[in-house]
Amino acid sequence: MPTAFPLPSDLSPATVTNTASLLRIVALSLISGAAIASRLFAVINFESIIHEFDPWFNYRATRVLAAKGFYEFWNWFDPTAWYPLGRVVGGTVYPGLMATSGVIYNFLHALNLPVDIRNICVMLAPGFSALTAWATYMFTKEMKDESAGLLAAAFIGIVPGYISRSVAGSYDNEAIAIFLLMFTFYCWIKALKLGSALFGTLAAVFYFYMVAAWGGYVFITNMIPLHGLVLILMGRFTSRLYVAYSSWYVIGTLSSMQVPFVGFQPVSTSEHMAALGVFGLLQIVAFVQLVRSHVSSKQFQDLLFVVLVTAGLFGFAAFVGLTYKGAIAPWTGRFYSLWDTGYAKKHIPIIASVSEHQPTAWPSFFMDLQFLIFLFPAGVILCFHQLRDEHVFVIIYAVMASYFAGVMVRLMLTLTPVVCVASAVAFSTLLDTYVDAAEPDDAVAPADSATPPESGATAKKPKKAAPAAPSTGSALSDLVAAAVPNKKKGIYGLDTRFAIIVNAVGMLAFFVFHCTWATASAYSSPSVVLASQNADGSQHIIDDFREAYYWLRQNTPETAVVMSWWDYGYQIAGMADRPTLVDNNTWNNTHIATVGKAMSSSEEVAYPILRKHDVDYVLVIFGGLLGYSGDDINKFLWMVRIAQGVWPEEIQEPNYFTPQGEYRVDEHASPAMKNSLMYKMSYYRFSELFGGGPSTDRVRNQQVPKVGPTLDYLDEAYTTENWIVRIYQVRSEDLLGRDLKSANAFAKGKKRKRSKPVSRRRPIL
Amino acid sequence: MLSFCTFVLFFLSLSGLLHAKSSDGDSVLVVVEEAHKKDFTIFFDSLKEQGYELTFRAPKDETPVVAEHDVPSFAHIIILASESKNFAKDITPQSLVELLSGGTNLLLALSTKQTALSSLAAEFSLILPPPSTPLVSFFPERKDPLTVIPVPAPASSLILSPKLAPVWFSGAPHALGNNPFLVPILRAPAESFAADTDSGADALVDATEKGGEGFWAGSQLSVATGFQALGGARVTWVGGVDLFSDKFAKKEVSKGVKSGNTQFARDVAAWTFQESLVLRIDSTTHHLANTTTPLEQYTTNDNIEFSAHISRFNPKKSTWEPYSGIKDMQLEFTMLDPHIRTALLPVPGSPGKYSVTFRAPDRHGVFKFVIDYKRKGWTHLHSSTTVALVPPRHDGYPRFLSAAWPYYAGAISTSVGFFLFSAAWLAGESREKKAKAKAQ
Repeated sequence: MPTAFPLPSDLSPATVTNTASLLRIVALSLISGAAIASRLFAVINFESIIHEFDPWFNYRATRVLAAKGFYEFWNWFDPTAWYPLGRVVGGTVYPGLMATSGVIYNFLHALNLPVDIRNICVMLAPGFSALTAWATYMFTKEMKDESAGLLAAAFIGIVPGYISRSVAGSYDNEAIAIFLLMFTFYCWIKALKLGSALFGTLAAVFYFYMVAAWGGYVFITNMIPLHGLVLILMGRFTSRLYVAYSSWYVIGTLSSMQVPFVGFQPVSTSEHMAALGVFGLLQIVAFVQLVRSHVSSKQFQDLLFVVLVTAGLFGFAAFVGLTYKGAIAPWTGRFYSLWDTGYAKKHIPIIASVSEHQPTAWPSFFMDLQFLIFLFPAGVILCFHQLRDEHVFVIIYAVMASYFAGVMVRLMLTLTPVVCVASAVAFSTLLDTYVDAAEPDDAVAPADSATPPESGATAKKPKKAAPAAPSTGSALSDLVAAAVPNKKKGIYGLDTRFAIIVNAVGMLAFFVFHCTWATASAYSSPSVVLASQNADGSQHIIDDFREAYYWLRQNTPETAVVMSWWDYGYQIAGMADRPTLVDNNTWNNTHIATVGKAMSSSEEVAYPILRKHDVDYVLVIFGGLLGYSGDDINKFLWMVRIAQGVWPEEIQEPNYFTPQGEYRVDEHASPAMKNSLMYKMSYYRFSELFGGGPSTDRVRNQQVPKVGPTLDYLDEAYTTENWIVRIYQVRSEDLLGRDLKSANAFAKGKKRKRSKPVSRRRPIL
Repeated sequence: MLSFCTFVLFFLSLSGLLHAKSSDGDSVLVVVEEAHKKDFTIFFDSLKEQGYELTFRAPKDETPVVAEHDVPSFAHIIILASESKNFAKDITPQSLVELLSGGTNLLLALSTKQTALSSLAAEFSLILPPPSTPLVSFFPERKDPLTVIPVPAPASSLILSPKLAPVWFSGAPHALGNNPFLVPILRAPAESFAADTDSGADALVDATEKGGEGFWAGSQLSVATGFQALGGARVTWVGGVDLFSDKFAKKEVSKGVKSGNTQFARDVAAWTFQESLVLRIDSTTHHLANTTTPLEQYTTNDNIEFSAHISRFNPKKSTWEPYSGIKDMQLEFTMLDPHIRTALLPVPGSPGKYSVTFRAPDRHGVFKFVIDYKRKGWTHLHSSTTVALVPPRHDGYPRFLSAAWPYYAGAISTSVGFFLFSAAWLAGESREKKAKAKAQ
């Protein structure tokens, strides 16, 4: 047989196998190292700090867990959150992340390694990303072969779409959830392949871990049943499927109900009904199979028809009836917003106000996945070539995840693994084809070329044929084969090979550069600390958030209640250790709307609300001086909208726009805008900074009025160096029972208008 | 925290009170024109007799200052210089309010002239008639001018002594606004009115034509009014400085009956200087019923016992004594709104102790025990203690529920079924083996 380049022929198969497995181990450990290392930009560029918002709560909860033990954590009632409602943390949290850190912490301390809990939390996500790479390797290995698995592991290790949620310090549920997702899928595929109850149970155990770790477990809850359903519809029902699914569902569901936050949801909400339905369907199908083996085929077909129709109708009627009666909770708003992207904006502004719930912009697909997004469809098509049961899974996963990633930015995360897997399959097929030394043999009949020879140098060859071989039954290759019946297909010589391989390696190289750049520049900012460049190119750290939080921590009584917009609730609780009115766990719309109302009303209206909630300090984020665009004035319309949802008579969004419909903060701003507490707190004494010159808000590029707003019910308590955080103290009630506005006027020496006693008499006419 | 403060206050007051009558200190600054000082000797002597240390200062004197480094120098201030247009610069309406927030009590006399004090009165929700509009009355018939009026004391008053003879008054009356902190002490007689005595009866006619507007009828007016500020300090406004004068004190109301002015001045000073009707909360405690240790958090539906100890100042002995006389105090258990509002009644047998046991609501959250007792004349009592109300622990729920019997039955029947199945399976297996063995 002709080869394009000489192959060594004196190697024993054992040597080849051993070398290959050694190389695999080395490659996997290097991939793990790269995955961890590339996530350390955040620590190196800034410091070992917890990032963003939600991680601060997770970190705080983990500290409680580490300090007081699991049972105290489980029963932890946090009186400082959602003041004065409090939060039953144990029952409203996915404890998987904290429990994982707690176990690691206790394990290390048992080994006398006194590691700080903060460092465990910071390094958890990078650590688990290495595990994710390994799980993806295992998963892809089931799809194609080890070389595709290694590629997939390398991809997932450094792809920005996953790094964005797992850099060091990004201590969030997603950090461990992607590993659990991939490993559960791997166990499921393995269970399905082998018909193994052991792997089915293993899948259930990791499914339980996933349920305990992340609300996105619903994705698994629906993916596996969907896969099962599609297999049944394709006529691929086997006892392997039955065993795998039944063991996964029963054990998985029972164990998932042990998580307090999930409770009875798996049997009472619509999101979980698909899994239950498929479980029931499987029983019916299995029963039908049993019946079929005992009755004649004519009888069986009649019977099957009747049974299927009645069962289907009955099941559907029962589902509708139970939903109607309220036994099964209907779809939640978050779920509807997955189908109708405009739904949240209309009905639940609180969900729409979260930036990661917005539809994904096109560039971010390229930003997060780079060239994988082009290879992804090729990989999915390659799955169609063979279409074994596990390939069906990848296809379904690809379709579902693509849709969801298009709807919500944060679901890009669930798309990333399947993109890596499919791209790895495609890329490794490409390499297989072009690295393979075999050339079409003129002497051999075309039919024989269907089975290319095994090549020892390129690890193990798949059972799968290269695209050069037309025998895979794909319609496309049949067409191609029919169009050129007499030409032999294949790759001749080294030049084509060389061109393709160089191109492919180039793509990989550019991918690495892109990932490094994206990670370093876009995804490693802790957002607690901001960085800017000095004129000489050196880094300048803007640390206003921590400055303000530490001011609160050092200068206010421990019971002082701080009101802020909900974005900063977790950070205040974590860094300032003070009670907050609302935080990032947005379970109570009314309470958030109350804060929104206080912020968007005038002082006189807001003051009773502040007093009623025992608010001592109000904290606002103001970026106008520095040009920090994520400030409260830019979020202000969401506060107005959320408040309007609850008090439509008192707060109306159009009032905050100019008559021309513009959102302005300069002298043309609408009266409601100018009188709102948020506006006043943001621009209080702002124009004084400019010493009489034009005072420009650098975020909105508008000139703020020279005579700034006045405050009667609040006192400025603290403003940070760059004015990003401004803290106001709520005044106590007036000594003499006056309203604070007139008390303030009196203190400034203004004369009160003479009042007259109320006349009680009417003249007789 | 609160109990600690009251504790410290208690000791401070104990040390200070061995001599003084007031619960608040015994230094008094009297701002009075040097020339008029001798007009009020009876009043001043009675104060000295009570144990107060009087310091005199003319309105325009710079010293002694009312506050040094924002710390009030005197416990009480009397301003009898109602005619003065100008005071030294440390006595302004603003500085007087500042003193109030520092706990200084004020006894202020107004006049029919427009002064700095008249604009201050408006801040206390007192509505003064226009300048030079004194209180006028034609009744009872007497030889004195129309503006010198015997004002009968109210039949029952917390502040004034019982059976007080009518009090001679001359000066400007005031109407009361709707401020709830105002404490009426002495109302003007119903047949009196405020009128500009210079312009004659025309003003009266004008006022009647306007439907009573600007018509200052006696039934709406007061001549002496107290004010209980939020911080606990007290202010008393008196319409005319003559009320305290020796002349009115000696003047007879009718034949042989001396006026009530001396006693009235003493009563008003006693109330203003925190001698009478002074209460305080010594301590509050809360614990589970049947236990004694206070908890930081309670479980929903717990039975909680809350108690407060309340003392009243006894001016005769200058001590705080447990006081069980409050019958209408309420305790609120509040989270945003009061979830429970219940009577906090005195415990018979233990003086000064008020206690109530109630079942906590079935709602978790951060609750406050709130006592908010505001009665006219009395010191305001306010206390707020924060506790968390948490849901039961994971092992705090009942273990066996009758409602769960279907699940128990399911679990038991499955176990039994499994057992039977295993037994049958094992038995069947062995029989088969036996059969095989037989066949062999």
